[in-house]
Amino acid sequence: MAILEIKNVSKFFGGLAANSDVSFSVEEGTIMGLIGPNGAGKTTLFNCITGYYPPSRGEILFDGRRMNGLDPDKVCMLGMVRTWQKVRPLAKLSVVDNVMVGALAHTSSLKKAREMAMEQLKVVHLEHRADFLAGGLPIGERKKLEVARALATQPKLLLLDEVMGGLNPAESEEIIQLILDIKSHGLTQMVIEHDMKAIMRISDRIVVLTSGEKLTEGSPQEVVSNPDVISAYLGESHA
Amino acid sequence: MTKTILKAAVVLLLLGFLLIIPRYVESPYALHMMILLFLSVSQGQSWNIVGGYAGQHSVGHAAYFGVGAYTTMMLMHTKQIAPWIGVWAGVALVVVVALAIGSICFRLRGPYFVLASIAVAEILRLSAINLTSLTNGAEGILATELPPFKIGGTIVTEFLTKVPFYYIGLFLVVLTIGITYLVQHSKLGYYFQAIREDQDAAHSLGISITLYKNIALVISAVLTSLAGSFYGIYVGFVDPPTVLGLDVSVQIMLICIIGGMGTLWGPVLGSLVLVPLSEALRSNMVTEVLIKVGLVNAESKVGIFLKENLSHAHVLLYGILVVLVILFMPDGLMGFVKKLATRWKREAV
Repeated sequence: MAILEIKNVSKFFGGLAANSDVSFSVEEGTIMGLIGPNGAGKTTLFNCITGYYPPSRGEILFDGRRMNGLDPDKVCMLGMVRTWQKVRPLAKLSVVDNVMVGALAHTSSLKKAREMAMEQLKVVHLEHRADFLAGGLPIGERKKLEVARALATQPKLLLLDEVMGGLNPAESEEIIQLILDIKSHGLTQMVIEHDMKAIMRISDRIVVLTSGEKLTEGSPQEVVSNPDVISAYLGESHA
Repeated sequence: MTKTILKAAVVLLLLGFLLIIPRYVESPYALHMMILLFLSVSQGQSWNIVGGYAGQHSVGHAAYFGVGAYTTMMLMHTKQIAPWIGVWAGVALVVVVALAIGSICFRLRGPYFVLASIAVAEILRLSAINLTSLTNGAEGILATELPPFKIGGTIVTEFLTKVPFYYIGLFLVVLTIGITYLVQHSKLGYYFQAIREDQDAAHSLGISITLYKNIALVISAVLTSLAGSFYGIYVGFVDPPTVLGLDVSVQIMLICIIGGMGTLWGPVLGSLVLVPLSEALRSNMVTEVLIKVGLVNAESKVGIFLKENLSHAHVLLYGILVVLVILFMPDGLMGFVKKLATRWKREAV
């Protein structure tokens, strides 16, 4: 069953179409990869889905419910949560407090929220950092913190915006394992990623965006063997 | 755990000490200083909730201070309504004002919110000057005769000395610190701080930004209005510049900036610095001390200049103080103290 349906979504900034007529759907329990060159409109699409921008045209259905025009906090409460490409730790709060902010979406008890937060920190292997200030973490751990905080809101769909960006191969591998681990618990994910090897490994399906439009969609194998995709990434002569 | 108990014990001890002070101290001046200190702590602590915890730097808190003060004084002056009833009318009015300001100004972020908050307070100040029939305009309202405070027919106090004001002030301090403590240790505190640290991230985690900013503002405004009403009945006089002026807003903020924003004890530290400082300057104490010590000759040009001008210098000194704090203690006195404490701990190990 499709948990998320994007139907003919367009987003214009003045005359510029950051997304035009994008349609696809994400099946429950799968990982959808979203790739494309810089400026293809991947993050804009995330912003439209999570309520930061209202789409100019088209419809976003989550769990059968129309999401257009809902604020980000409502989107989160309905079960869709995102992480940020440029990480946004709550710098002056401790790591566990950061995750607690997420957990408080579904409880008012600090004690309960703290327990839930510690659980999520264990999932991302950050429990040893619980009492550190979030602002002092290195980038690899900040990325994990983003994931833990998002997970703490108990989402049905997790949207990851370049969680591996800026990480070294060992750190990326940890994140890949983390994403697969989260999948094994049945959580649907949508992942923006530039690292082709990584996205090939984790995705069940991949959507390719270029210049705001959907170029193609398919299994990882179909996508990489598609000449249009190769030319979009490497130029005509390599196709 | 033992640390929490120790902290609680220190706080209770301090409170007990403050409670018995008026039994042994009779000097009205000393009590006056303590009352000013209490007023300052409660003002700073009120601002702290919206400014320090939620990170919305309102420079228009004179609006709530003034509305509280004016409402209580106007009701007492024209309708003979006792201030302990009038206070609640002030609170009700301030809630309306705060929600109006919040729903408009919280659409703006950062410096734009600051400018809007100043603008609203200035509108209220100008209204108080010009709505002469209601507020008595620039002349202000003088109402020094307080009715005796009775509970069930027995007179508790007739407000003949400063002692009852001392206890009301102390009550305000306990109230504001208590509410800040409760906020800090609840979902509200977490949400306020999340909004302060990163509004977009907070929004994505299911926090309704507008709702929680407004909650912070209303709590802060209500407490500020209580402080304003207290100021009104203590001084017995309000006029537009003293309760609605921009420098009132700035002073309220300074208490927190100097003491440490978003910390429970920051406003207390800030008040302990600012109140004696401004009082020493205002009363020309500094000049007198300088003359007595022999650093300055009273008859010399410098001495005369200081005598005439230093009492107005507190505003200048505030400015210098803020620059120094921002340069050397960006987290305020409280941050500085914490830094010292961690360094001390590290060296002890």
